[in-house]
Amino acid sequence: MFYFIGLGLGDAKDITVKGLEIVKGAKRVYLEAYTSILTDGKEKLEEFYGREVILADRDMVEQQSDELFQDADEEDVAFLVVGDPFGATTHSDLVLRAQQKGLQYKVIHNASILNAAGCCGLQLYSFGEVISIVFWTDTWKPDSYYERIAANCKRGLHTLCLLDIKVKEQSIENLMKGRQIYEPPRYMTVSQAACQLLEIAERKRNAGEIPAFTENTICVGLSRVGAEDQRIASGTLKELSQTDLGNPLHSLVIAGHMHPLEIDMLREFAVNPTTFNTFSEDQKVK
Amino acid sequence: MVATNLFTWQCDLYHPSFLHGLTNRQLCIRKGEEYRRTAKMVNFTIDQIRAIMDKKKNIRNMSVIAHVDHGKSTLTDSLVSKAGIIANSKAGETRFTDTRKDEQDRCITIKSTAISLYYELREEDLSYITTGTDGNGFLINLIDSPGHVDFSSEVTAALRVTDGALVVVDCVSGVCVQTETVLRQAISERIKPVLFMNKMDRALLELQLEQEDLYLTFQRIVESVNVIVATYCPDDGPMGNIQVSLTYSEYTVFYCSQVQPTAGTVGFGSGLHGWAFTLKQFAEIYAAKFKIQPAKLMKRLFGDQFYNPKEKKWNKVGGEGYVRGFNQFILDPIFKMFDAIMNFKTEETNKLLEKLNLKDKLSSEEKAMEGKPLMKAVMRKWLPAGDALLQMITIHLPSPVTSQKYRMELLYEGPRDDPVAIGIKECNPEAPLCMYVSKMVPTSDKGRFYAFGRVFSGKVATGLKCRIMGPNYIPGKKEDLNVKQIQRTILMMGRYTESIEDVPCGNICGLVGVDQYLVKTGTITTYEQAHNLKVMKFSVSPVVRVAVEAKNPSDLPKLVEGLKRLAKSDPMVQTIIEESGEHIVAGAGELHLEICLKDLEEDHACIPLKKSDPVVSYRETVSAESNQMCLSKSPNKHNRLFLKAVNLPEGLPEDIDTGKVEPRQDLKVRARYLADNYDFDVAEARKIWAFGPETTGPNLLIDCSKGVQYLNEIKDSVVAGFMWASKEGVMCEENCRGIRFNIHDVTLHTDAIHRGGGQIIPTARRVLYACILTAEPRILEPVYLVEIQCPENAVGGIYGVLNRRRGHVVEEAQVSGTPMFVVKAYLPVNESFGFTADLRSNTGGQAFPQCVFDHWQILTGDPLDATSKPGIVVFETRKRKGLSETVPPLDKYLDKL
Repeated sequence: MFYFIGLGLGDAKDITVKGLEIVKGAKRVYLEAYTSILTDGKEKLEEFYGREVILADRDMVEQQSDELFQDADEEDVAFLVVGDPFGATTHSDLVLRAQQKGLQYKVIHNASILNAAGCCGLQLYSFGEVISIVFWTDTWKPDSYYERIAANCKRGLHTLCLLDIKVKEQSIENLMKGRQIYEPPRYMTVSQAACQLLEIAERKRNAGEIPAFTENTICVGLSRVGAEDQRIASGTLKELSQTDLGNPLHSLVIAGHMHPLEIDMLREFAVNPTTFNTFSEDQKVK
Repeated sequence: MVATNLFTWQCDLYHPSFLHGLTNRQLCIRKGEEYRRTAKMVNFTIDQIRAIMDKKKNIRNMSVIAHVDHGKSTLTDSLVSKAGIIANSKAGETRFTDTRKDEQDRCITIKSTAISLYYELREEDLSYITTGTDGNGFLINLIDSPGHVDFSSEVTAALRVTDGALVVVDCVSGVCVQTETVLRQAISERIKPVLFMNKMDRALLELQLEQEDLYLTFQRIVESVNVIVATYCPDDGPMGNIQVSLTYSEYTVFYCSQVQPTAGTVGFGSGLHGWAFTLKQFAEIYAAKFKIQPAKLMKRLFGDQFYNPKEKKWNKVGGEGYVRGFNQFILDPIFKMFDAIMNFKTEETNKLLEKLNLKDKLSSEEKAMEGKPLMKAVMRKWLPAGDALLQMITIHLPSPVTSQKYRMELLYEGPRDDPVAIGIKECNPEAPLCMYVSKMVPTSDKGRFYAFGRVFSGKVATGLKCRIMGPNYIPGKKEDLNVKQIQRTILMMGRYTESIEDVPCGNICGLVGVDQYLVKTGTITTYEQAHNLKVMKFSVSPVVRVAVEAKNPSDLPKLVEGLKRLAKSDPMVQTIIEESGEHIVAGAGELHLEICLKDLEEDHACIPLKKSDPVVSYRETVSAESNQMCLSKSPNKHNRLFLKAVNLPEGLPEDIDTGKVEPRQDLKVRARYLADNYDFDVAEARKIWAFGPETTGPNLLIDCSKGVQYLNEIKDSVVAGFMWASKEGVMCEENCRGIRFNIHDVTLHTDAIHRGGGQIIPTARRVLYACILTAEPRILEPVYLVEIQCPENAVGGIYGVLNRRRGHVVEEAQVSGTPMFVVKAYLPVNESFGFTADLRSNTGGQAFPQCVFDHWQILTGDPLDATSKPGIVVFETRKRKGLSETVPPLDKYLDKL
C-alpha cells in the first residue's frame, strides 16, 4: 500500500495519530521536501518517529517515481507531505502514476494553509481562487495571476497568495551544462510579494487601467502558520511591503469585502490601527 | 636612412616563395630591405599631423585587396615611394637601430598594419573631386593585409575601418577566388572599389598578346569585377531603399560602385616595373590635340568606340579603317615603345622618346641602358605608377564625410536618429564619441595589445572616460560593458607609435589599456544610450579545430594565458575550453591553425605543446518535416509542448549567415522578405521567436500556435531551451543548422509557479530533440572551394588527388592566352588535411591550391545508423566529447499523451 500522509503545518508533532501509526509500521518513509517546509528539519522528524526518513526532492518525485513505488504492492510505503497531500500542493500526478502501476493507495489528510489561513479572521467561505506569486527574474516577470486577483476582488472575495519557494533549484547556466550545482534555498517574504503586487498595480495604472487593488488595499501577512512563533500582520499593501515577518514560510491574503466581524478580528493584528481604520472602511460589506 | 623603421611590412606568409622553402622570417627581412631602398619620408610634427586629421574631406582610408601573388606588395611599394610615409620629424637616426631587432622578431605576428601617406594632388585635378576638398594635401591611411584566404578575417577587420579599396588583379590570371571573396566582403560593407590591372608587362613580354586580345582580357576582368559588385551590392538586398539624403555627387560615389575605365576608376600597368595609367592620363595627353576636354575624351578611350585616323572620325561599330580607341591611342604607343626597346631598335626608340619629351627626364646612366632595364626606366618616367594610382585613389575613393553618410545604417545598430547615428552620418567631431575597435595589435609589452580601430563620430582622447562595449553588450544592461578612462591615444604609423592628445572622427588610431576589457572587437562611446556598432561578418568560419595541452602539466596556467592572448591577436581564431577540460583552438583551415599554434607555442604561451590531429566541426540538420507531432511534458507533467521540426528552405541559412535575414531587422521587412523569397506564411514569419544558437544562428523558432493563454510568460524559457538545443544538437552536440522549429500548441498550468524556467527549459530542449530525431536528421560537413592553377600536364594528377579525397571538379578552364589551367573544385574540409602536399607530390610540384570555406553539405546517409559514414562521424564526435557512445533513443525525449 502507498500512503500519502499529511504532516500539518507546524512541527513534527502535528502528524495525526493515524498517520504516525502508518509511519512507524512502513517499510520506507519518504519526505517530500520541495513544495513546502516544516519548522522542524528531517532529523527532528526521525527522532520523533524513531525511524529513518528519506528525503525526496523534485527530481525524485517527478522523474524517478519508480524508486518511490518499488515494492509498494507488497509492502507499505509512506510519502509524507507538509500540510495536506491534496492541499496547496497537489500530488495528483503521483496518484495517477501509482494507479497506472496498479498500486493501492490511501490518503491521510491533515491541516493545510488553505484552511489554516482562516486564523487571521477572514472567513474561509469568502475566499476566491488561490494564486501563487513567483520570484521574478530580470527577463521573466509573469503577472498573469493579476487577472485572477482582479476577478476575486470584483466579486468581493479574499485572495490567498501562496509565495514562491526555491529549494534545490539549478541556475539556468548550470541546468544547461548539466551540473548538479544548486542555488541556496530562497523563500519569498510577504514584503517581497507586496512589492511585486505594487509594481503590477503601477504597470496597470501606466497602461491606463484602474488596478483591482492599490497600495491602500487591506491585506494580511501570515508567517509560520501553525508553529509556536506564528505571526499575523494586517495593514495596507504599502505597509506590508515594509513589514518584516521573520523566518519563512510566508503567505499573503488580499482582503475583499469584509464583514464587520472580520474587520474587528483583523484590527487585532493591525500594523498601524489608524490607517487600518481609515482604509478598512472602504472594503466593508455594503 | 631613417625611413624604414617607421612603417611595417607585414609578413606575406603565403607568398609562393615561402612555399618554396624560405622561412617566413627570412622573407620578412627581405621585404623590409626592399622598402628601405624605396621608401620616402614626409616629416611632420605631431601638431602638423593632428591638423591634417581635422581636414576630414581630404582623408582617404583605404585597403589594398588582392589574390596571393597578384603583385600587391610591389604596387604598394610604388605608392609609398611616391607619396611618402608620414613620420614624426623628431624621430632620429637612433630609432632605426633601436627597433630593428624588434622589427625582425615580431614581423611574424603582425599581420596587417596601417601606413599613413601624405600626397599633394595637382591643383588642376582638384576639380575632379565632386564631393568637396579642403586644400590639396591628402592624408591616405593605407591598410595592408595578407593575401592568403586563410587570413581573410584580417582583411575583414581592415575593411571595416576603411572606406575604399584598391582591388589589384593580375591581368594574366584574372579574377581569382580570393579576389572574389574579399571584394564581396568589401561591397557588403559598402566599401567603394577601384580596380588595378597589374602585370601588364607579363602580358606584353611573356604572352606577346595582340592589342585586341589584351583589350578583351581587360574588358573581361572589368566585367567579372562588376558582376561581383552588382551581385553583392547592398541596394539589392533586403535593406532595399536607403533612407539617406545624399547630394547628387555623393549619390554617384555610392551607386557607381561598379568600376569603369571611362570614369577613371580602372588603372592599368605594372607594379613591378613601376608604371601605371588610367584613361585620364592619356586623355590629358591627347586633349590638346583633339581640342576637347579630357573628361569627354576618356569616354572614347574604352569600350566600343572606334576611330578612323584617315577620316578622323569616330563610330561605335568599327569596320574598314576603324580601330578601337583604346588600341589606337593607348595600347599602340605602349606596344610601339616595347617593340622598339625590346628589339633594340635604337633609332626608333630615340624618335619615340623625343616625341614624348622623355629624353631630358632620363639620366645619363639610364640613357646608356638598353633592353629591359631601359624599358623599365622609360616607362617609369613616362607613366609613373605612383601619380596615376594616387590620383585614382584621391579622386575616386570617398572621404569619410561622404562614405559615413551611406555606411551609418549598415554600421550602427541603434535608432537612426540618436546623437551617435547623426554624429556618424555627419562625421561630426563635436558629436558623442563612437569608435569601432576592429582588431588587437600586439605591443612590445608581452601579452598586452593596442586596440586598433576607426573613429566614426566625435573625438577619442587620452584620459577620456568612455563606455567600452563588447559584442554581447545589450543597451540598458551591464554585461560586456566597462566604463573606463582611455589610458592613451596613439597614432600607429606602422609598428612605430606616437602619443597624440586626441583623434577626430574619420581617422584610424590605436588605444592603450582597452585590451583588458575587449576580447577581439568592440565599440567605444561616450553616449550613455549608445548601441553597438555591428559585429563584422567573416567570410570564412572556424571549421577546423585541434585540441592542445601543455607537455608539462604544470604549465597549464601558461597555456590558459597563452590561449587568451592568441584569441586576441587573431580576428577569427576561437579558443574554447570543452566540458571535458580539453582546450580547443579552431581556425579557418589547416594552414591558419598551423600558424596560430606556432604563435601560441612560441609567442603567447612559450611552452612546449602537445597537439591533437585536426578535427572538422560538423553541423546537425534535418532533411524533412517531423513525421509526428512531438510532445514533451514538463517534469511536473502540468505543461505540454507540441512542436515539429522542418528543414529551412535552401539558401535561407546562408542569408542568415550573411545578415540578409537577421534578428534585429524590422519585423515587417523581414517577414516580407521571407514570404517573397522563401514562401513563408507572412503571419508566421512575423512570429519568429528567436534565431539560434547564440541568438543569431541559422535556425529559427517560430510560434505557429493560436490563442494559447500565458504563452508569452514561457517565451523566455522556451527560447533558452532552443538556444541550448541548437547549440548542442541531439546527435553529437555540434551546432544545429538550417532547422525550423514550429510551436504548434502548448498546454500550461494556470499558475505561474508551476511553469518556471526549471520546468520549461529542459522540456523545450527535450521536445526540440524529439523534433530533430523524427525529421530525418542529417550531418552537415564543411566544404572548401579549391582553386588550383597549374600547367596542362598536371591537370590529370589533380583529378586523381581530388577523386581520392571525395572532391569533385566544378570548373576547368584555360587562362586565356596562357598555358596555365585553372581548376575549381569542391573538397570536403575533412579530406583537406595534407591536401597541399599530396597535390604537389602528384603534380611534380606544379600545382598550387587555394582553399576557401564555401558551404555546408549533407554527408549522405543516416547518422543514426552506426555503420554509415555520418554514423561514424557521430560516434567519433561523441567519443571525443566524452558522451555515451550511441545517440539516446527517441523515447527519452518524446512523451505520450
